[in-house]
Amino acid sequence: MIGESRRAPGGGRMSVGQIERELGKLRTNDDGTLALRSSVLNLIVVTDEESAPEITDSVSKLAGRHPARAVLLISDPEGETNVDVGLSAFCHARGGSGTQVCAEQVTIHAEGPPAMHLESFAGPLLIPDLPVFLWYPGEFSPRSLEFAAMADLADRIIVDSAASESHEACLREIATLVEDPEMPAIGDLQWVGLSPWRSLLADTFGAPERAGDLEKFESAEVLYAPGGENRALLLVGWLASTLGWKPERASRNGEGQKIEFSGTSGDISVVLSPDSPDARLRRIRLYSEEYSFQVSRHRELSDVRTTVMRGDELIAERTVHLGAFDLGVLVGEELRYRGRDETYEGSLRAAVEILDL
Amino acid sequence: MADTQSLQNILRDEQRLPRVPEPGVVVIFGASGDLTARKLVPALYDLAAQRRLPLEFAVVGISRTEMSNEEFRGKLRRALEEHRSGEVSGDVWESFAGGIFYLPGDSKKAETYKGLKELLKRLDSERGTQGNRAFYLSSSPSLFPAIVENLGEAGLSEGEDGGWSRLVVEKPFGRDLESAQELNAELQRYFDETQIYRIDHYLGKETVQNILALRFANGIFEPVWNQHYVDHVQITVAEDIGVGTRGAFYEEAGALRDIVQNHVMQVLCLTAMEPPVAFDAESVREEKVKVLRAVRPIPEGEVEDYAVRGQYERGWVFGEEVPGYREEENVDPESVTETYVALKVFIDNYRWARVPFYIRAGKRLPKKATEVAIQFHASPHTPFARDDTKGLAPNVLVVRVQPEEGLSLKIGAKVPGTGFEVSSVNMDLLYGTAFLEEAPDAYQRLLLDLMLGDPTLFIRADEAEGSWKILDPVMRHWSQKPEVSFYQAGTWGPEEADDLLERDGREWRRP
Repeated sequence: MIGESRRAPGGGRMSVGQIERELGKLRTNDDGTLALRSSVLNLIVVTDEESAPEITDSVSKLAGRHPARAVLLISDPEGETNVDVGLSAFCHARGGSGTQVCAEQVTIHAEGPPAMHLESFAGPLLIPDLPVFLWYPGEFSPRSLEFAAMADLADRIIVDSAASESHEACLREIATLVEDPEMPAIGDLQWVGLSPWRSLLADTFGAPERAGDLEKFESAEVLYAPGGENRALLLVGWLASTLGWKPERASRNGEGQKIEFSGTSGDISVVLSPDSPDARLRRIRLYSEEYSFQVSRHRELSDVRTTVMRGDELIAERTVHLGAFDLGVLVGEELRYRGRDETYEGSLRAAVEILDL
Repeated sequence: MADTQSLQNILRDEQRLPRVPEPGVVVIFGASGDLTARKLVPALYDLAAQRRLPLEFAVVGISRTEMSNEEFRGKLRRALEEHRSGEVSGDVWESFAGGIFYLPGDSKKAETYKGLKELLKRLDSERGTQGNRAFYLSSSPSLFPAIVENLGEAGLSEGEDGGWSRLVVEKPFGRDLESAQELNAELQRYFDETQIYRIDHYLGKETVQNILALRFANGIFEPVWNQHYVDHVQITVAEDIGVGTRGAFYEEAGALRDIVQNHVMQVLCLTAMEPPVAFDAESVREEKVKVLRAVRPIPEGEVEDYAVRGQYERGWVFGEEVPGYREEENVDPESVTETYVALKVFIDNYRWARVPFYIRAGKRLPKKATEVAIQFHASPHTPFARDDTKGLAPNVLVVRVQPEEGLSLKIGAKVPGTGFEVSSVNMDLLYGTAFLEEAPDAYQRLLLDLMLGDPTLFIRADEAEGSWKILDPVMRHWSQKPEVSFYQAGTWGPEEADDLLERDGREWRRP
């Protein structure tokens, strides 16, 4: 997207009124005309000093596809009391008329006690009548008072279960949040990243004669990279919850793990194994008595190959784009979604049941 | 556990995964033509690459040119590089091209269809296409009846083993009411109307569909969308380009057949229709047909009071001198073919009684623009001094379809100052800017709908005929009176078009 970033001079502490006025000025073009403001949502992002540059970059890239009032909160509760406000707008020209359209970003560095009350910054800066997405790109503490206060502002919370040091604990925390009726809907970037995989796997059962194999699976293998544990677990959780598999036993299997399920027409064993680090998910393979179904990512490309085999005979195959998976794309996918994602919630519950074995 | 049919849906039965069609084959007649290379194959490739097509999918091209599968694939690959922006992934192309087949043959001969039937059967067993086929007629319209008859006689108008068979017809849907009726009768001899998909790519455009979203997803417009509040409506479909290399085609067609009968009438229907009960094929198309039925017939003796026929002369478009229509390649130097049409129509129903719809469409106008402008009645009384309201015009709501999709509302506001001067200002909303998603190409959308079996955005037989019925008296009158009014390229049409509105005390907007 071609556009320009505009930045307001100054900084330091500013009032809500000053911020709104300065944002208005940012939309003023060089020739004195006023650029339009375009927004379909509010996006609040909570991050720390270290991740701030990368997150800021992702947020400004999102502005093109999901024009928003973005409020980026950089929190450092340990520091001396300090508040610093930065304002910017991402503007781009539309069509032949040259009309400029801008999306705004407010960045607030809060140190010391103000960092414990981020909701007091975010609340007054939200644009009325638009949905509020709250994004935690890194670790978050779902049990803290601060989190509850922020969640109160939001219609949807976006988290990344792979960003936590302990992926297991994080998945459990999210599962607890999902069960809390007071919480808004929750989305996990690790789940979003599975969408193309799930779609491709579903495609292999598009032919009616193979649909019957959905209840005849005997085993499955998932290869994932370090950091992709939750993605792999959610994928298996999805299969389990959709196909009615009940987790029975788990055991170590080399570097990975073997999980045994009971299904409607027999037992299924699933092996999760770590693989090379260049793709969070490398491959999934499902075996029924007659067929094997495989979706596998090319090592260096973002292409993915699907095959259906009967013994050694290739029944169907194709290669398609898996699509991009950078942070902006994953968050963008989440911003398109409203409401609870029941398939995700079912898969998450199943994944936690697996962890409980 | 559920039966196998619903089992297949279990993994896909949710909102976040896209709908993917059942396995099937698209058979393209006229496969060596421009449309296949420029639009159909790029659209199918993109759909395949974006994981929107089923795993078991194939394309079969048919035309008279002798070519092997490999040569056909190579030709399409080159066309893809030429007509599609963005990189073509080698592996994805190879995988897609593996499902492309070519059958040389004369579409008028029965043996071609025997070969086709065998090939399709082979694909069903080798590629799992399940007996589902869509036949895309992208050949010359003169071949349509022969192709349809041969398909029917070969038993291809029904899918194999319980699969489906669908027929896609590109415009023009006939040349007039009579030929459209004949064509429909031909198609329906072998295919049921529910199997026929008449394609008007305009309806595949996101921006055109947005007219429906705007009207029926917002509570505030519909209450004023009628004769109580609307003074008149102007529909403009303007192009800045000339006929280019399509002179021979255009000589036969003219703007009325090329643009008005299909695209413009569709925009008219979407603008004027009643809210459909549901966004499904029958509900939407039923409401569109009701609009066409309600359009007041233009009496043949009064065509000149309702219709203007124009042709561009040499002129300047955006700094470039361009030739007149009669100077274009393959155009008769004394041609009276219209490159511009203006029409005044009335829709005689409760909603639109007495509201004129002014329609214009033309080539070599100053800019490319498609818009619908709803002009409201002026405020019945303004309490401000007359001099103070000089700058005030009635409210106009403009739905812009292209180039900049959006909405603009002209409203009166106080001019800052100590007096009470009011003037009109434009409030612009470019709703395209709110969602910068790459809108899918119209053909992608329509091909996917075709495979999914959703004909909502395709034209029903009675729609095509209804539209011709409105225009027939105009065409008859023009054919008896071979005269045309001229306008300079780069202007907004002939003077007669201005007179059409001036007689009613109105004027055309500048888009």
